Amino acid sequence: MTAGLILILGGLVFLSGSALAAFCWATKRGQFRNLREAALTIFDRDEPPGTPTDRFPPRK
Amino acid sequence: MKPSSLLSSIHPATEPDTLAFLERAEIDASTRGPVLLFFGSAVFWLLFGSVLGLLAAWKMTHPGLLDSLGFLTFGRIRPAHLNSVIYGWASQAGIGTGIWLMARLSRVSLMHTKLLVSAAIFWNLGVLVGVLGILAGDSRSIEWLEFPGYATPILFVAYACIGVWAVIIFRFRKPGHIYVSQWYLLAAFLWFPWMYATANILLVWQPIQGSAQGAVNWWFAHNILGLWFTPIGLASAYYLIPKVIGRPIHSYYLSILGFWTLALFSNWSGMHHLIGGPFPAWMISTSVVASVMMFIPVVTVAINYHMTMSGHFEALKWSPTLRFTVFGALAYTVVSLQGISMAIPSVNTLTHFTDYTIGHAHLGLYGFFSMMMFGAIYYIVPRLVGWEWPSATMIRWHFWLVAIGILLMVGSLTVGGILQGVALYDPTVSFRSSLDFATPFRWLRGISGVLLLAGHLVFASLFVLMLLKAGPRREGPALLATPAENPSQTTAA
Repeated sequence: MTAGLILILGGLVFLSGSALAAFCWATKRGQFRNLREAALTIFDRDEPPGTPTDRFPPRK
Repeated sequence: MKPSSLLSSIHPATEPDTLAFLERAEIDASTRGPVLLFFGSAVFWLLFGSVLGLLAAWKMTHPGLLDSLGFLTFGRIRPAHLNSVIYGWASQAGIGTGIWLMARLSRVSLMHTKLLVSAAIFWNLGVLVGVLGILAGDSRSIEWLEFPGYATPILFVAYACIGVWAVIIFRFRKPGHIYVSQWYLLAAFLWFPWMYATANILLVWQPIQGSAQGAVNWWFAHNILGLWFTPIGLASAYYLIPKVIGRPIHSYYLSILGFWTLALFSNWSGMHHLIGGPFPAWMISTSVVASVMMFIPVVTVAINYHMTMSGHFEALKWSPTLRFTVFGALAYTVVSLQGISMAIPSVNTLTHFTDYTIGHAHLGLYGFFSMMMFGAIYYIVPRLVGWEWPSATMIRWHFWLVAIGILLMVGSLTVGGILQGVALYDPTVSFRSSLDFATPFRWLRGISGVLLLAGHLVFASLFVLMLLKAGPRREGPALLATPAENPSQTTAA
């Protein structure tokens, strides 16, 4: 029971801790500096904003 | 990039638009083998799991159905249904989507595809052994972890290959911003093996004693939803909704906030499944508080999806991907707020041990996650196969059958569950008659299962037709044409 509890609680702390560590790393790397441009990273030259990229296939 | 690639062999004076297209097409193509293998096997397990689920649903109204066959008794097919849809369908659809999305967002061609192909084969072997083990009577009767001890090591080895791959691809990403979907995927791919191993060690290989087993069980069962399926589903929607309508996400700031609050709060919430159980009060209270804190990530996601779609709802008419994805996004908001309310002890006392919980589980895993995966598959597969979906009519049939099916299922179980819960609290009603309140709604659930299975059959046939490249070659949606060949695709906005 005690060993189990320690493992579970250790697990909780580990999971949340890894999230916190990753958050600090990302902040240091400036990942959150320019969010407006960051949102545009999914678009490409040939698929710029304003270009829908999915349609139903046409009926015959 | 491989030296023999198409990209490196084209003329240096090629238009930059064409270059961008070719680069994306090449990354997509590099994922073809493993992703199609994961999707194909996911579709198989979806059908397999649906048949078992339907049979289990009918046994609730016809207890004598097929009861002469031992391996088809309720106690076996119910866990076999759960585990085949969780590990066979949902996880594999999620892994396939995750691989494709991670490669595309990292802008790196997939490396070590053989690693992933062997992982897929091992994973399917593990699920097969596990499901057959359950049907043979070796279920471990630990919810969400019913696979017998001889099946889980196979799954774990398979997963190790996938986890290694996820780290490799992230490590070799092109420099620049890490998009919010990449965070979600990385979190899911890194946390899953850890949760799965912990739960298996503590419950199977070196079982801990007493009620602590329940704590580990529900810590795992909640996390596999909150930290495995949820991040993959949200990663998919955070990419597909803005990408399909061609509009950046409404508030990128909120999306980042949503991810980090999910990462911080989700893993503490599992103990709310054990309200009223023999556990220290602080354990349950911590979980209830963490569950209520989940309001923040849920609302950020809801606001973002809604505001990005706002003014573009007509897109649901023309995009199959968006139709499924937006259904999933709405279901995510509803199921999460419902889940938060169920973590509040006064609500929980009513809903616990009733069909209400089953309705909630299906709204989460089907209404949210499976619909997200259908949406992703409709977007990804044409880009892998180089072919348009053969039939728009079949896509529409698939959507309406499963949409109506899941709404009917969740609706009937919710209403039946509440009536059942009220009756359970009434001292003048015997336990036996409290079940009668749920019976008519279980009939409706049995019908909803038929709709879902029919939808899945349509989807599976469409998937097979797609792999066979059935139907005429289509020029229409222009997704597969280079921009030079078809410049007119902006008109639909």
